Order: sequence, then structure tokens, then C-alpha cells
Amino acid sequence: MATIRTRSRGREMLLRLSAYLTILVALILTLFPVYWIAANSFKFDIDIFAVPPEWLPRNPTLKHYDEAFIQRPFLRYALNSLLVAVGTTIISVGFGAMAGYALARFSYPWQWRKQISFWILSTRMMPPIVSIIPLYLFFNYFDMLNTKSALIIAYTAFNLPFATWMMKSYFQDLPVELEEAAIVDGDTRWGAFLHVALPLARPGLAATAIFCLIISWNEFLLSLIITLTEQSQTLPIGIAGRVTQYKTYWGEISAAGFMACVPIVIFAFIVQKHLVRGLSLGAVKG
Amino acid sequence: MLRPDKGMPTASLRLGGALEHWTERHLRYLMLAPTMLILLALTIFPSFYMFYAAVHRISPNPDLPWEFVGAGNFARLLTDAQFHVALRNTVVFTIVAVTFEFLLGLGLALLLDKFIRRLTFLKTVLMIPMMLPPIAVAITWKIIYEPQFGVLNEIMFRLGLPLQAWAGDVNLAMFSIIVADVWQWTPFIFLLMLAGLASLPVEPYEAAALDGASSWRQFWDLTLPFLKPVIAIALLLRVMDALRLFDLVFILTGGGPADRTKVLSLYIYQVAYRFADPGYAAAISLFVLFVTILLSTWFMKRMRLAE
Repeated sequence: MATIRTRSRGREMLLRLSAYLTILVALILTLFPVYWIAANSFKFDIDIFAVPPEWLPRNPTLKHYDEAFIQRPFLRYALNSLLVAVGTTIISVGFGAMAGYALARFSYPWQWRKQISFWILSTRMMPPIVSIIPLYLFFNYFDMLNTKSALIIAYTAFNLPFATWMMKSYFQDLPVELEEAAIVDGDTRWGAFLHVALPLARPGLAATAIFCLIISWNEFLLSLIITLTEQSQTLPIGIAGRVTQYKTYWGEISAAGFMACVPIVIFAFIVQKHLVRGLSLGAVKG
Repeated sequence: MLRPDKGMPTASLRLGGALEHWTERHLRYLMLAPTMLILLALTIFPSFYMFYAAVHRISPNPDLPWEFVGAGNFARLLTDAQFHVALRNTVVFTIVAVTFEFLLGLGLALLLDKFIRRLTFLKTVLMIPMMLPPIAVAITWKIIYEPQFGVLNEIMFRLGLPLQAWAGDVNLAMFSIIVADVWQWTPFIFLLMLAGLASLPVEPYEAAALDGASSWRQFWDLTLPFLKPVIAIALLLRVMDALRLFDLVFILTGGGPADRTKVLSLYIYQVAYRFADPGYAAAISLFVLFVTILLSTWFMKRMRLAE
């Protein structure tokens, strides 16, 4: 009896140890590329591809940050990205919450609810490349190419279905009684949504907003096609523009690339609770 | 609902009341309207427009009229060798990348869930790649893969393995793209699986443990069936995203070498902008759209999602 228990405890220890090891390896593999771009951003060009590689920058420099953010307009690109991401998020979450609430709470004739829910989700299936040509011609027609509003409109099209679905599943989880009580107390249905349901759904709103922000901050393809000027281009396009046919500006790219990651990662740590909850509710429940 | 106790003048009360009443009666439609209108304008309109463009030959010169070619652009799909290459590359990429992402993501989630449940900090760290701008990911891997001085070849050299051109090598280019994609998106599967595991009921496991079921049996008979809806959603989202891969290829290989990494999105982009043939690009896009919708609808029906 005793021997069996020790053997199984030994096996348990071994399992645990190999699990820790696996997770350690996963951590290293996850973090190394991020570390490497950060390290490179602080090296002189000649040291970036030194043989053997400099695992730690030996002569750290801020040269590339100066190049990217002072001499070249990366700050402008970053500001554009921020404006577009925030604009998209406000519109998507605002309208998405309204539509999600409607789909969660109201009844519709002729099975509308089911059809509309499915249709809204199906618009998310459309690969961006598919709508790019019409959107390009559309923005061209209205003279909106190279504007941030065009980007906000285009990104909204991709974030709104997602926001609607996340908010729908949140509202479905809220007990309807509180809204009913508000209506009995003399509030309107809209008032009940605004004063009762919306505040209760704050975690859901936060999670949805986080996802919209990340998606719009990272978007590349639409921005590549809709914007060509410095006044309107976003950070991803600015970075890609430094990979040219003749030369790749590794240092500058590393600095800008690292700076594109930093706000997102900091943000993710601040909101990590919402992030996990948001994904588990929004995505898992569909 | 009228509220005369607010002390409003009678006229505006009546007007406001009527408006309020009207809004209240149609609220179910009013709240949906903005979303519906935006989505109609930005998806239905492009779809029709795309169809219209796909049956025309569009000259790069905007002053020339569009020439109606009927099904001509679609017929070209049958004989266009580059399109077939792009289609095959997309399918290979999607199957291999999503399979690895799924296996690794599920494995990691099971390990973490069993052994280190509390460390949310660790989970967030593991999720970093999926939050990064794909462009930054592409650049990072370009630096790692750099054939002459890149850190990957340095590691290969230290281990006594042959150096490779990675993204520049005909046989390794697709593999290099897949590795970068797996690096970025395994965390997404991992996160969804963790969420699924966190919501598992406890009782069936206690019963199974009493019956002496091995942990392998428990995983196979309890965990997997419980996770099925989450797995379905995760796979659906990943496959849809993999089918539209663009950023990584655009930066890492530009579709080369020898078209080995040319995927559909990149080919559409090239046809539209480099070969200046938006009509044909629209035809290919419609094909992609059609396949994606067919695939996901079939999948959602099968998995009984969206009910």
C-alpha cells in the first residue's frame, strides 16, 4: 500500500515538473521575439546583425527612437492610429450595445431576431480583401480617400457585428427584472436601458471596447489601400513603409514596432480581467 | 409613459409625450436601426458592387467606360495557374497553421488549468502575441529569419545544424510563415480553451474518479465533449482569419519565393493594384467570399452554433 502511494506521488511530481518545464519553454518562446525587437531597437544598425548576436545591447542608443519619432513622422502615425481606433470603438460599442440589447430583449415578428442575429454575424465572415475594392471606389467617389473618417467607417463595418454579438450575450445574462422594476417605477424602456441595463453591463462594454481598440489599432490591409498620405496613415502602414525594395531600416522599424506593441501590452495588463471574461462570455457563448 | 408630475407646460408635455410614445412603441426597431443601416451600407452594397465589377473589364484609366464581359472574369479562374497556386497555398496554410495552433493551444490550456490555475499574470503574458499588431509580428520574424545575420541561423549554427534562408527559401518559406502565425495565434486558442475549462462542471469528474476512470479517459469522455462548442467557435474564427492571411506574407515574403507563399488575399491585392485589373480581382474576391460563407454556414449548422 505504502509503496503504491509513494510511486504515484513520485509520478505526480514528475508530471508536475514536466508541466512546469513545458510552460517555461512556452514562456520563453512567447517572449523571446518581443524581447528581440525591443533589444534591437536600442542597438546601432551595425550591432543589430552582429555575429555572434548581442543578446543584450552593448552600446544602448536611442538613435532609432530619434529617427522614428523626431525625424520621421511616426508620432503622427501613432496619433492617427489612436484617433481612428478610439473613433471606431465609440461608434461600434455605442451602436453595438443598442443593437445587442434589442436582440437580447425584444421580440420580433416572423423570426426576425434569429435571422438578423445570424446575418449580423455573417457580415463578419466577409474577408476584408473582398470589400476593399468597392470601399476604395466608394471612398474615391465621395472624395474621402486619405481621410481618417474613411478608416473609421471601414473599421466600424468590421467591429460592429462583433460588438453587437458580444453585447447581446452580455445582456442575455443580465436578469430582466431590474429593468422591469425601473419601468414599473415610471421609467421608459429606453430609460431602463440607459439607466439600468447599460451600467450593469459595464464589464461587457469594457471587454468589447478593448477588442475593438486592439483590432483597429492593429489593422493593416484597409489602411494600406485607403490611405497614402502622412496625414492619414496609421502606425502599421508607417512601419511597413520602411521595408523598401532597396533597404530595410531595421533599427527604425524595431523602434516603431516596439512602440506599437507597448501601449497594447500595458493596456492588456491593466484590463486583463475584462479581457478573459470578455472572451469567455462573448466568444464561448456565441 | 406620461409623467405630469414633472411640472412641464402642457403643450410641450403633449408633444414630448407623443414623441416619447412613438419612440417607445418602435424602440425595438430604432435600437437596431443604426447597426443595420451601417452594415447594409458597408457589406451589402459592396457585395452588389463587387458583383457588378466582376462582370466588367475595368480599365486603369478612369475615363474609359467599363466593358461588360459577362462571366468572362469567372471563366478566367478556371485556367489561371497563379490563382490555383494561391488557392492551394491558402488551403495548405490554413490546415497546417490552424491544426498546430489548436493542438498547442489546447495542450497548454490543459497544463495550465491542471497545474497553475491561479496565475492570471502568467496567462496574460502568454497572451501577448495575439494582441500585437500583425505588422510588428511580421517585422520581428523578418529580423529573426534574416538569413545572414538573423538570430535563428545563429542558433542553428550553435547547434551544429545547417543554416537556412528561412522565409527566402523555396521549401521553407511557407513553413516560416506558418511558424510566425502559430506564434501569434496559439494564444488565442489557448485563451478560449482556458475559458472553456474554467466553466466545466465538477460533478461528472467526481463520479468518474469514483469509477476509477483514468485521466486520459476523463479527458476523452468528459472534457472534450464539454469543450466542443468552444472548440467549434475557436476553429471557426481561426479558419476564417487564416483564409484571409495578408500582413505576414506581405512583409515576410511578398508571396515569393517562386510564388510559394502567394495566398489568395495577396493575389487579389496584386491583381487589383499591380496588374490594375479590379474587375478580375472582384471576381476572385467573390469566389473567396462564396467559399468562406459556404464553409462557415455549413460549419455553424453542423455545430448548431448561433441558435
